[in-house]
Amino acid sequence: MLDLAPAVRAEQPASPALMSPSPKISANSWTPHGIVMRDTWFPLAHADAVGERPVRRAVYSHPYYLWREKGAVIAAEFHPRERALRPASELTGGTGRYPVVERYGYVWGWFGNPGAADEIHLPNLPFLPPKGGLPGHMRGTVRFDCTAPLSLENLIDLTHADFLHANVVGDEKSESEEIKFFSDSETITMTRHCIGKSVAPVMRFFGGVKAKTQEVRQVIRIYVRSHAAIAYGRFRPGDDVPLFHPCVPETRDRTRLDFAMNTSRSHNLFRYVMPKFSYVVSRQDSSMTSPQSVRYARPEKRRDLHSRLDGPSVGYRMLLQELAARQAAGDYAYRPDGIVSRDCSEIIGMDPGMFSYPN
Amino acid sequence: MDSTWWAVALSEEVTGDKPLSVDIGERPVVLWRDLQGQVRALEDRCPHRRAPLSLGCIRKEGWIQCGYHGWSYDGETGRVMEIPNLKNEHRFSSVYRVERFAVQEAAGFVRVALNVDAVPPAAAALEMPLSGTAHVALDHERYLTALFDDPGLLLTLFGVHFTPYLMSELHEQNGELVMERSCQWKLPHWPAAFSSDYPLNLISSTDPKSGETELVLNDRDFRELLSMRLAPVPAGRGVTAVRWRALQGAGLPRWVGRMLKWFDPIHVHTTVDAAALRKLKPTASVVFEELRRGLQPSLVQSVA
Repeated sequence: MLDLAPAVRAEQPASPALMSPSPKISANSWTPHGIVMRDTWFPLAHADAVGERPVRRAVYSHPYYLWREKGAVIAAEFHPRERALRPASELTGGTGRYPVVERYGYVWGWFGNPGAADEIHLPNLPFLPPKGGLPGHMRGTVRFDCTAPLSLENLIDLTHADFLHANVVGDEKSESEEIKFFSDSETITMTRHCIGKSVAPVMRFFGGVKAKTQEVRQVIRIYVRSHAAIAYGRFRPGDDVPLFHPCVPETRDRTRLDFAMNTSRSHNLFRYVMPKFSYVVSRQDSSMTSPQSVRYARPEKRRDLHSRLDGPSVGYRMLLQELAARQAAGDYAYRPDGIVSRDCSEIIGMDPGMFSYPN
Repeated sequence: MDSTWWAVALSEEVTGDKPLSVDIGERPVVLWRDLQGQVRALEDRCPHRRAPLSLGCIRKEGWIQCGYHGWSYDGETGRVMEIPNLKNEHRFSSVYRVERFAVQEAAGFVRVALNVDAVPPAAAALEMPLSGTAHVALDHERYLTALFDDPGLLLTLFGVHFTPYLMSELHEQNGELVMERSCQWKLPHWPAAFSSDYPLNLISSTDPKSGETELVLNDRDFRELLSMRLAPVPAGRGVTAVRWRALQGAGLPRWVGRMLKWFDPIHVHTTVDAAALRKLKPTASVVFEELRRGLQPSLVQSVA
């Protein structure tokens, strides 16, 4: 077993902010760029993007090269052709190879103590086939020029969608709106329930919804360590829109999102069109999170203001910082309430039998 | 005294025929080659009446002669060797001298350190046939931060689009500041923000003191397509003088290499799009100052 804390310190020159002492936990004033999550799986690539030719990925600037040998995925620190100008890091136990696993159509790479890598820490994604195989038109890649936590904070704060994405998901008008959230030591889940909400234009035009209003239940569940989220929308009348939204922090200010939206149970046209709207929505988000990110890169005296609707995003900030503080103190363990691989179908409001896949 | 080595000239710019005027910050420097072909560097200021020595000439002895009253100086020592009308004086007091600087010539660059006792850096042996010089109305610090945040504002590599996406943020590695930027070919392609994989990768390695930067463009199979050394030097009035050399890599298909000879494969800009610069987000460069301070606490000082 490796000595973890020195391993982190050995890697720190690549992430200078890690050298700063852990900042005070605050909901109003935080510096997400300084947070590095360890001992976790990151969904680095769609499984079919990895072949015999190495592809390049990164986690917090640490290089990951992925390729297959006789069908098995390899995750390595060095490209096979690379002149090694640095020694293999402790993240690979000095072997140059990271722990890696394939699940849900993704290649997951472990970041942290390789001796602690365990599939029990893989987030549960009940709407994706465990052995992969989701059609290509339901998957894609988008990138954000911002720090990953801001991208996730943006996701869990769905009130922005009514303004920034009104042309896709509809405006803010609804008869009633209720927002709840809860968390454990590894996840935070937000539920937004709207009745009489303006129909999302994308559903009106491509989903065959004739009604003027919908009942909408949206659940955002963030696996905090993995920077990965489920966004499960249930629209009635309309379809379920289950989205896996991983935000891999390739650097502290750049985020890769290999998304998967399982629209296989949706109407014919909608199932093809809806995943493509990720490209529209992501650019709309990026137009805000990119300039926003720079302003969170350094501690600032002025504090953020919140409304009563900001509970989930504040909760996310707090949970991430608490986890970071635990890790800064050398505690990388998962607590008993933090079994992220436990089935979360009920939590995200997925009807039983909606997606049933053999393990 | 500043021990930074500044690449103030390309080897071919310094001759034994005509002095070359350069500067390091607000400090004027004159360069020339003596009889042995050695590059000499003195302050570009005659101690007699402060005229620039670079306005003078190089004598057959390899000395530099001021164009105003004809005082001549030896480049190795900086001492006055001859004063017209005082030709019978064989030796002048040691006060009669120009400040001299340390010089190193290697791999096509002439580097000067203001501290004459500075230890020369390890010299790269690689010869790079492509070269150029550009002067930009942007100070050295801002030139470097723009280079980190968007190299496309400062240089053009033929056919290459620099994306905003980084695979490695600026970090210290073996005493250099290193980062990796994803690039695309300037061909019809899926938008950068939606691309799963990029065909090109630009690895930059910057000396934290001088800002001299090695840029290596690799394809996704780690074949080296281009290697370039970019040397920005702070010059007078906030201008940055940039010398560069480059070599097309062995990874470049031969027919592409031949084709590129018809074009100018590298263009280091002499002007900067100020509107784009104003809007450029400080991202990679955010940690530059703290990295530099952490590496070399005593070296972050003005060269003026």
